[in-house]
Amino acid sequence: MSTSANEPRDPQAIRISNVCKSYGQYKVLKDISAEVSRGEVVVICGPSGSGKSTLIRTVNRLEEINSGSISFNGHDIHAPMRTKELNLLRSRIGFVFQNFNLFPHLSVLDNIAMSPIRVKGVPAAEARAKAVKLLERVGLADKQNAYPGQLSGGQQQRVAIARALAMEPPVMLFDEPTSALDPEMVGEVLSVMKSLASEGMTMLCVTHEMGFARDVADRIWFIDAGQILETATPDEFFKNPQHPRAQRFLADLRH
Amino acid sequence: MITDLIAIIRDYWLLLLIGQYPNGPLGGLANTLILSALSIALAFPVSILLALARLSKWTPLRWPVTMLVYVTRGVPLLMLILWCYFVVPLVTGTDVPSFVIMLTTLVVYQGAFLSEVVRAGIVSLGHGQMDAARALGHSYLGAMRFVILPQALYNMIPSILSTFVSTIKDTTLGYVINVPDLTFAASQVNNQLLTQPFQVFLILALVYYALCWSLTHVANRIERRIARRRAGTVSATISETAQATKMITEQP
Amino acid sequence: MNGFDLSAILSNPEFVSMLFHGIEATFIIYVGSWSLAMSLAILLLGIRFSPLPVGNSLVAAYVSYHRNVPTLVQLMLWYFGIFTLMPDWLTGWLASHNAEVIFAIIGLGLCQAAYFSEDLRSGLRAVSPGQMEAAKALGHGYVSAMRFVVMPQGVRNALPPLVNHSVSLFKNSSLALVIGAPELTHAIKEIENLSFRTFEIYLVGTLIYLFISLLIMAGGAYLSMRANPAVGGHA
Repeated sequence: MSTSANEPRDPQAIRISNVCKSYGQYKVLKDISAEVSRGEVVVICGPSGSGKSTLIRTVNRLEEINSGSISFNGHDIHAPMRTKELNLLRSRIGFVFQNFNLFPHLSVLDNIAMSPIRVKGVPAAEARAKAVKLLERVGLADKQNAYPGQLSGGQQQRVAIARALAMEPPVMLFDEPTSALDPEMVGEVLSVMKSLASEGMTMLCVTHEMGFARDVADRIWFIDAGQILETATPDEFFKNPQHPRAQRFLADLRH
Repeated sequence: MITDLIAIIRDYWLLLLIGQYPNGPLGGLANTLILSALSIALAFPVSILLALARLSKWTPLRWPVTMLVYVTRGVPLLMLILWCYFVVPLVTGTDVPSFVIMLTTLVVYQGAFLSEVVRAGIVSLGHGQMDAARALGHSYLGAMRFVILPQALYNMIPSILSTFVSTIKDTTLGYVINVPDLTFAASQVNNQLLTQPFQVFLILALVYYALCWSLTHVANRIERRIARRRAGTVSATISETAQATKMITEQP
Repeated sequence: MNGFDLSAILSNPEFVSMLFHGIEATFIIYVGSWSLAMSLAILLLGIRFSPLPVGNSLVAAYVSYHRNVPTLVQLMLWYFGIFTLMPDWLTGWLASHNAEVIFAIIGLGLCQAAYFSEDLRSGLRAVSPGQMEAAKALGHGYVSAMRFVVMPQGVRNALPPLVNHSVSLFKNSSLALVIGAPELTHAIKEIENLSFRTFEIYLVGTLIYLFISLLIMAGGAYLSMRANPAVGGHA
């Protein structure tokens, strides 16, 4: 199982097919289909309440769906499966939360090293050494022994990215990673994400940072009222949006 | 008056301290402390299991435990002691010392009370911690063990200490089934003296006061230390729930 | 022992009447001690907020004693101890007027007053100082600000612990058994002795206690909802 999850059986890293989800009467996602190819960076944008966060949370099954399917490297994430299997799949999809969700009782180093040790069975010394390297990579080598509560929001989010990377996922999902940050801290998180993208990481990001979308994304999905209304390259999307609601969304941003 | 008190203490201090021991069962203050400590030591793991059962999605597990919690919240401890006095010998098939009956009652009673504290501690952490752990591939139990419980239980330490004080006070009810504890020893002293009931029960009250007051004092100091540590590492939401959980356990 | 048979208890008029007398005594003890506790708690709170430092430490000592000495021991001290020190005319009067019930009300009420007054105090302290300032800025005097702005919020904050402690007091009314008050647990034990139907009568007693406790909890939940409709509506 662990090797087969690595096998690129499907040219698309993530394939979303006809996904519908509703809370009672309210339809959050309406028949969504889209793909993310290997090495691609996709930015999901759209007005608040459009279903962006729900969509990205269905990709690692933090939310269930009512119909349709989502596959990751050819594995159907929402198929009935043993929880062990689901846990293994999840460990191969990195997820970064809006509110960081670092573990406050663990030091920064242990936040990063704990899951490789407990989930993947990596020897502790090896996992810690890896964690130190990841902390260097996000520019926080000096914070190993700090606790999350002692860090700024931007630093916490960089630790959260390092924590997700420690599981060596082929795909990273970002759910509004900069929305909870003070403006002066947005840049440090975006630059970590940019460097990840330049190293060829497959990324799916929900974000309001249109500068990031313009510079880094390969494609943009515009989503409103539970539907993907437009998929385009950043150039097409920002210069010449097709859908009227995308046009209004961009016009509102400029004000 | 004062001389009466001193005379009683001089004549009966050993009986109040250890009961009839070594000529009879261990009793007095020593037994009160042993009974309380054993109760809490056993009630603590029980409370974690009960809390996990109450949070379970599986109804046959959640329902009976929820009922147990409501029964212990709504029915006098005295009534539960009578139940155990009746049921425990039926289950074991033999005569059981009153100490064991009182221990069983207190483990069930305080276990159910503490389970509410554990549950509140887990719920107060919010979905984010569980989501993050699951996203990293931890199983439900793995997430509980490595992420949720370490935080919830650490926040619980002050509640456990205040429950220990409650338990010491609750052991006095063992008097009804003749558990040889401090209260029982005092009433023995009273039966021997006959003429000085006020003095005897005043001594009893003062001993409990000194014991519970100093333990409460220690508990408050530890709580402040934990609050200080938490202020450095965790958001304010948790200290709010620590207040809420304290409310659940504080009872006369 | 025969099989389970509730009717052995419930269709025996003698047992039913004993049960009702027990419930009646428990009710008198509960209502009496609750009223005593609440009036005393408000008095203690008044002393706490008065400018006299002596009053403050006296109240603190009162609270400390009643919270750190087991309720049962407090009851024993009253009934077996203080009762015997009273002058003969008072002892005689009490003895002919259900001394056990009266001492249960006094002992439980004095003890519970300590809890109630602390609940009210922390409820008041949780009201932010900005509320008092805002009221004063609008022209309220101290009393008026207390009465219309601070108190309503403080009592609302104190409601959940007050309800919890009201349930505790109800449960603790069973302790009156130890000083011989003829309350519900006492009645249950007597019926057990007469009928040998331990399981049945314990079950009936447990259900009665549980029912009344849940009633108090529900009443408290209703009051909290009324006092705080915005929160109650969403919860």
